[in-house]
Amino acid sequence: MSMKLTRRAVSKGLVLSAGALAFPAIGRSQAKSVKIAMIAPMSGPWARQGQLLRMGAEILADDVNSGGGIKALGGAKLEIVYADAGDSTEKAKNAAQRLLSDEPDLAGGTGAWLSSFTLAVTEVTERAQLPWLTLSYSDAITNRGFKFVFQTSPTAEHQAAETLPTALKLADTATGKTPKTIGIIQDNTASPVSFAKPLREGGLDKLGLKLVVDQIFTPPLSDATPLIEKVRSAKPDFLLLLTSAMPDCKLVLEKLDEFKLSHGKVPLVGNGAPFGSPELLKTIGPELLEGLLFSVANWPIKGQEDFIERFKKKTGEPFLTQDALCGYGEPAILVEAMEIAGSADRLKVAEAIRGMNLTTGRAAQCFPGPIKFDEKGRRIDVPMIFAQWQKGVPLTVYPTELALAKPFWPSV
Amino acid sequence: MTIALPVKRQLWAILGFAIAVLALSAVLKSDYFELVLTQVLLWAMLSVAWNILCGYSGYFSFGHAAFWGLGAYTVALGMLHFELSPWLTIPAGAVVGGLAGALIGFPTFRLRGHYFALAMLAYPLATLYVFQWLGYQEIPLPMKREAPILYMQFTNPRAYVALALALLVISLLISLKVENSRFGMSLFAIKQNEPAAEAAGIDTWRWKMLALMLSGALAAMAGGLYAVVLLVVTPEAVFGMLVSAQALILTLFGGVGTLWGPVIGAVVLVPLAEGLNAKLGNVLPGIQGVVYGVAIIAIILSAPEGVYWRIRDRFANRRAEPAAPPVPSAAIPVLPREPRAPVGDGLLILRDVSISFGGLRALDGVDLAVPEGGLYGIIGPNGAGKTTLFNVINGFLAPQRGTISFAGEMLIGLRPSQVCRRGIGRTFQVVRAFPRMTVLENVTVGAFVGAADDAAARRMAATALDRVGLSPRANALAGGLTTRELRLMELARALAPQPRLILLDETLAGLGHDDLDGILGAIRQLRADGVTVLIIEHTMQAMVQLVDHFDVLDHGRLIASGPPETVVRKHEVIEAYLGRKWAQQVNEAAK
Repeated sequence: MSMKLTRRAVSKGLVLSAGALAFPAIGRSQAKSVKIAMIAPMSGPWARQGQLLRMGAEILADDVNSGGGIKALGGAKLEIVYADAGDSTEKAKNAAQRLLSDEPDLAGGTGAWLSSFTLAVTEVTERAQLPWLTLSYSDAITNRGFKFVFQTSPTAEHQAAETLPTALKLADTATGKTPKTIGIIQDNTASPVSFAKPLREGGLDKLGLKLVVDQIFTPPLSDATPLIEKVRSAKPDFLLLLTSAMPDCKLVLEKLDEFKLSHGKVPLVGNGAPFGSPELLKTIGPELLEGLLFSVANWPIKGQEDFIERFKKKTGEPFLTQDALCGYGEPAILVEAMEIAGSADRLKVAEAIRGMNLTTGRAAQCFPGPIKFDEKGRRIDVPMIFAQWQKGVPLTVYPTELALAKPFWPSV
Repeated sequence: MTIALPVKRQLWAILGFAIAVLALSAVLKSDYFELVLTQVLLWAMLSVAWNILCGYSGYFSFGHAAFWGLGAYTVALGMLHFELSPWLTIPAGAVVGGLAGALIGFPTFRLRGHYFALAMLAYPLATLYVFQWLGYQEIPLPMKREAPILYMQFTNPRAYVALALALLVISLLISLKVENSRFGMSLFAIKQNEPAAEAAGIDTWRWKMLALMLSGALAAMAGGLYAVVLLVVTPEAVFGMLVSAQALILTLFGGVGTLWGPVIGAVVLVPLAEGLNAKLGNVLPGIQGVVYGVAIIAIILSAPEGVYWRIRDRFANRRAEPAAPPVPSAAIPVLPREPRAPVGDGLLILRDVSISFGGLRALDGVDLAVPEGGLYGIIGPNGAGKTTLFNVINGFLAPQRGTISFAGEMLIGLRPSQVCRRGIGRTFQVVRAFPRMTVLENVTVGAFVGAADDAAARRMAATALDRVGLSPRANALAGGLTTRELRLMELARALAPQPRLILLDETLAGLGHDDLDGILGAIRQLRADGVTVLIIEHTMQAMVQLVDHFDVLDHGRLIASGPPETVVRKHEVIEAYLGRKWAQQVNEAAK
């Protein structure tokens, strides 16, 4: 961005904000358009994820509008209003409240990426009866008895329950042997903690897995040596890696390499989209990542090849990830709901989402399994997706019918 | 006691502020602006709480998020585990915050200045990890559909504005009360010169602890309501650095150590940051942080003590100094002295008192006895140990050997404020004034020790000022006094609680001939009133006229003792002052 533009933007912003404080909510009226909202962190530590979400959403808006708008509404244009959730729950909540005040005719919305932000945002949207879609997978989001919140990802509990059995199945198919021992290295932030808790409380026993390494650290990790020494001496059949920050992940992978445990000597299984991020590739490199498997709520699957290419061409990103995919897919669900309802009224849109069962079309293409929600707002019959790093690209390898590549279990 | 006019004016200002907030809330058309208004009030309350400790006492805390977070978690966990209503848990949070203040203050007040501030930083960081470890990463407050009002869940956002306003008004009233009582004045004295405050009889430890507990309780209440408003509590959101920084920044911006400073900071900065975030957050990510940074830099450059002080100083300079209140000396009765038990061989008795710093023996087996009503002088060359002797007597230093008794009671092990309480006042070699306070306030701080209530303290201060002849300057700021006036003020501060013994440390130093007479007169008057005086002095000439007994210190040892005229002729004394050569010449001349 040029200096000139920046300065102008700043002074304009100052004037605008001063004006906004004095004159609340001067709504822009634009005929023949339907508005939906996207709240995502566009500044602060999670800004990158918010930008990816937005990239996906912008492509969707182009697709819808260049395809003649929303047909059931007479070709109305789709307008997506973006708001920055920033770096705190307070800012996320403010953004939601502000959107609702400034845009009284929203048909629905999506966001806010981090589960605590989503919790705060949906407290506002629920009271306004605005249908809200989110990829955040904390169980708490759909445990509150809310009627207007729809979770497109399988919940954390579900992911935790599904990840290991699927990993074992993958190992079994690839090598003919089922792993017997497991190591866990995790940090103590929200999602790894809730992921690993049921495993330690009987989950591993049920799978016939013996926990031989169990290490929890508080990020940031300064030195991974003590963790990896434990791995070297106990030699688990595979290692479950639950780190949420990239520098920690990098330290662990490099230390594994230093101890000659990389390249499949100890197969690695992770959870969550950060394990498939381009930044990981950039900092760690394809060699150390080769073979790393991770379960994830959503990842590019068969049938999206065309979209993947368009996305790469338009944004210059090396590959498509969960964030951009959901950034495209969640607004697409809202659009489909409006087509079904024939209305942009939020109550009718919500009703359409509750009743939908999509298996084909623009929205359904973006998610594994049918788009169908239960009474809690959780999706029904969602398969767990596994992706694996192969030659510098994380490719979906499971379920087989959706896979873009064949999995391999790194052999010992 | 009737409320002084400024307090009354402040009460009106608080009422006006509350009405203005309510009117604004009624006018605002959007839930979003009501939400921001609520946040302004909550952050203002946190800053007011922060200011009660940090603004008034000068002990900066980088860790008020600890209290805020404890309040928020009290509400969240109370609701989650025990179905408790915030109507109960917000006040309960105040108790938790107060207790946390006590727990934190106990070890942390051993530190001062930057060390205290940095140590405070550790508490929210530690609690953040504790709550993560306990598994409280995300606590949503459950929606209560059946009894929303019982659980403080209103559909009308104005209810939250009203609640936050109520809590802020309570905090402001508490802050006002603190500011205008011995509590606040003691904190203010601590801020400006803690050793002087302690020597003037202020129990600095107690007031600091009370301030931290009160501050913690108010911060926790604000945090509790914040949880109710936000509905989601995460350790990062309530224990994070941003929370502590917010309190600090808002208060520094508005004006440290003032009633309205924290409110000014919140009213300006919170909406500014939020407005910029709203309009530019997705255009220029992070601009909010830049605005905060620029605001702080601008304030540090143009008004280091905050907007409020800047305005006030400018305003005050334009006006003439207010005239002193008419305090006719005849109207002040000399307070009757309580009859005191006669003291046997001395009011103050030191036996074999020794202290050394490393290899230096600052005091070496000093014996000293001062009779009640005596006017004793301690003389000796630089570095002889005179000031050290005073520091040992009034409790700044503990001797390694020996005993000190005062009116039959052992003093060793007592803190300076406790020594002062027992009737020993002191002044300092370098005047330790509270420069931002008026002369009367400076002296009032000293009077608290001997006064039953604040009004009595003020009366005693006025009497003391009259005794030293400084009444006409009672309302001047101490920062603008001449050396002579400062010396007299310090003397009055030591005299105000009507001590039995007063320690004067080079009270005559740096004074011209004319000034000298006034002070000598005041000291003589003291003796006439029955106060025992122990004075350190270099100026031999003045001392010979003044005192009735000399004790001479050299290299930490008492080398001579007796009436002035004999002591000054002693060989050892001349040698100590002028060197061996002179002493020999004097000896030869005498022969």
